[in-house]
Amino acid sequence: MLFHTWPFLIFLLVVLPVFFALRKTRLWIPWLMAASYFFYGWWKPYYLFLVLYSTTLDYCLVALMDHCPRKTPTDDRVLRVAFGVCTVAMLGCVSLAVAGPNQLRPTAMVFSLILALMAAGALFGNRRIWLVVSVVNNLLLLLFFKYARFVVENLNAAFPALHLSDPSTLMPWGWSYVLPVGISFFTFQSLSYTIDFYRGLVPRERNFLRFATFVCFFPQLMAGPIERAKHLLPQFQQFPAIRLQNFTDGASLFLVGLFKKLALANYLALYVDRVYDNPQAADAATLVLATVAFGWQIFFDFSGYTDMARGVAKLMGFNLILNFNNPYLATGLGDFWRRWHISLSSWFRDYVYIPLGGNQRGAFNTYRNLFIAFLISGVWHGAAWTFAIWGALHAIGVMVTRELERSAFYRERVPKLAKQLGVFAFVSFAWIFFRAATLSDALLIVRRIFTAAWHDPQAPLLMLGLVGAVWLYQFVYESRLRDVLRTGFVRIGLAVFMVLWMCLLSSGGKAFIYFQF
Amino acid sequence: MPFVNEFRLNVRQWAAALVVVALALTLTPRVWKRLEKFDTGPDYRIPYALSKDYWLYERRLEQLTDTDQIIVFGDSVIWGEYVLPDGTLSHFLGDRFVNAGVNGLFPLAEEGLIRNYGTALRGRKILLHFNLLWLTSPKADLQAAQDEFNHARLVPQFFPRIPAYSADASERLGAVVERNVQFLSWVNHIQDVYFGQKDILRWTLADNRAVRNPLFTVDSKRGPASRRHRPWTETSEGPVQFEWVPLDRSLQWQSFQRLVALLRRRGNDVCTVVGPFNEHMIAEKNRAAYRTLRDGVAAWLSEQRLPHVVPDVLPSALYADASHPLTDGYELLARRLHESAAFAVWRGPTRN
Repeated sequence: MLFHTWPFLIFLLVVLPVFFALRKTRLWIPWLMAASYFFYGWWKPYYLFLVLYSTTLDYCLVALMDHCPRKTPTDDRVLRVAFGVCTVAMLGCVSLAVAGPNQLRPTAMVFSLILALMAAGALFGNRRIWLVVSVVNNLLLLLFFKYARFVVENLNAAFPALHLSDPSTLMPWGWSYVLPVGISFFTFQSLSYTIDFYRGLVPRERNFLRFATFVCFFPQLMAGPIERAKHLLPQFQQFPAIRLQNFTDGASLFLVGLFKKLALANYLALYVDRVYDNPQAADAATLVLATVAFGWQIFFDFSGYTDMARGVAKLMGFNLILNFNNPYLATGLGDFWRRWHISLSSWFRDYVYIPLGGNQRGAFNTYRNLFIAFLISGVWHGAAWTFAIWGALHAIGVMVTRELERSAFYRERVPKLAKQLGVFAFVSFAWIFFRAATLSDALLIVRRIFTAAWHDPQAPLLMLGLVGAVWLYQFVYESRLRDVLRTGFVRIGLAVFMVLWMCLLSSGGKAFIYFQF
Repeated sequence: MPFVNEFRLNVRQWAAALVVVALALTLTPRVWKRLEKFDTGPDYRIPYALSKDYWLYERRLEQLTDTDQIIVFGDSVIWGEYVLPDGTLSHFLGDRFVNAGVNGLFPLAEEGLIRNYGTALRGRKILLHFNLLWLTSPKADLQAAQDEFNHARLVPQFFPRIPAYSADASERLGAVVERNVQFLSWVNHIQDVYFGQKDILRWTLADNRAVRNPLFTVDSKRGPASRRHRPWTETSEGPVQFEWVPLDRSLQWQSFQRLVALLRRRGNDVCTVVGPFNEHMIAEKNRAAYRTLRDGVAAWLSEQRLPHVVPDVLPSALYADASHPLTDGYELLARRLHESAAFAVWRGPTRN
């Protein structure tokens, strides 16, 4: 279900009143969970099993982890039972993998492995093993649905003798092999809970329904922001305090998000798609403009989604974290990543970069760790070499600006606007690899930008004016003139403008770009 | 909760903004009616390019304030698929008759059009056409799956279920909202008339943005001088075996029955013309099934005490296809209608 479609409006008109009506009962959490599952299942109901499976397993793993003391081994009854159950289940899966129906064998084999690990965890009462099970399970889900085909294709191309079969053949009961929407978001969110619990940063959530609601909370289930248990779970402990301001703030956020998506992102997409679908026919100026337009398109698309997500959550009294903070005003690549998809970059910082050693072991190791984190972040976006190059480019960009910022000249003498434009130009260049359909397309676009002739890119003035106005708004917001934007006249004028624009000029209901990740 | 812009309205500001928006949405279409030139005159019919401009259709019906006029309503047979405006049935019926047909309609869409955009039709005399073409196959009856069909936004979006209609819930709800918010229908009108039937943003990206205003464009694809204005025998491969859909299973027929009831509830005096379908085009063995259907329609109309005429089939050479007459065919049909006693009684005295 998409936020900018009519079914979502009806969904919300049902969910909200019931949610408020249940405020004095204990049913508001089950209601939120049911609503979230309905929201997700609207797309393909059978992928609800994935969310439910991932949630249940992580809930159980943390519960078992809770029975394992940090230091001395223990003789715990729950662990003994868990060992027995896991062993029996594992044997069942092994026999299915060996002698069961063909269509179930691969799945049974994977479950055998996970159950074997779980049995080992119970036998040794080892917290780390439970953590490994959670990581392996979540990453296996992600790897299988997102990367298996890419890996198989590349391996078959490199080693033709292998003849690896397509991953769709591994699906049980012949289910279709489709990337479940938002899989990266809910697996990362669930995984962060087990890691944080392992590290002692969050307490165990004993209520399964509350934990399940945390994993599948519908405003942010499909495309984030990726919430942390420490921030969101406590908000589910009691019914939120509802004030009038929740509605006005929530509606303000939602309207801005809707405008970004319908009026800006979808409009820019028309131009970008036309150029990127046939790059060999475009001249240099058109390619440059389409690339810049894509930079804004993806910003409006993704930040629009998170604005709407935050707005919907706010209507119910919940606060989701800020995910975008005017990233195109960043003065360095590091600054850019503190402003762009903040929940993902902080996730990689906390669960990849810091565990690798962060910046604690000298410049070489710091840059190596940065490079690895960015490379994984790039590949997280999709199974293609273009995403890996995009991640690598950003890693290099971060390293370069980090070094530049060490020099007093760069810090003090280079004008802020020049730095902002430089960062924007670099980020836009990297978007070429993100947006191009194939690596050869991306290289062709880069080549043509530097070699082809420059003609009129035939971009509508309306489009350029809109983007220019948004950029100007952001500059004013971060300047001394900010108070102008706070006046009632400007706020009302903008609200009226946005609503009327969408009624008059909205360009269809395309899905959000980040759903595919 | 951090915001990264200053767009954060309080209650009063929201209230003010909503009032301004509501005023703009309500007043804009009304003001537009006063500003936009819309000349009709005798034999006017909604231009082919604006067949889906339902706001314009509603505006056209609102113009027809003379209660002595008789509204002739139906699909492309009434609109005149192969003929010029002065070659249609309403033209040959006389000055009192107004062409309110729309190209591409069918009973399910006719019902939607009248229900949502035809509220101006109250207490009027309406000559309603029923075209048996819509019962010639499950596909024509919208019972078979199809990629798309004309006027989908007019058909019932949820109930009764139409097997041929495969739009998702969002599109269906969008259609329902559009019918109920006049501003959105007006936006559609603006796009159809001034932006080459594209949404405005797509129009800004079009290679050729020049648009001929269809309100004032003459249609050159129709009329006796056009290549399409020929008897069906010159363009068809002979008689056809139709897969007639029985009346009790037909979605189109049920919709037509609802349409009649709706028009009568609004105080209209309805007379129905059934066909005349091009029987020459029906394979010999298939004609009995057709006649059963036609007689079934007539029987239901009699049961409802509705004035109706079932004209005899026209000569073969006066049909352009299975249901559309050529110019001479319309002239003959009009004469036969005037000769019909039921029609004459319903019509009342002619104006000289």
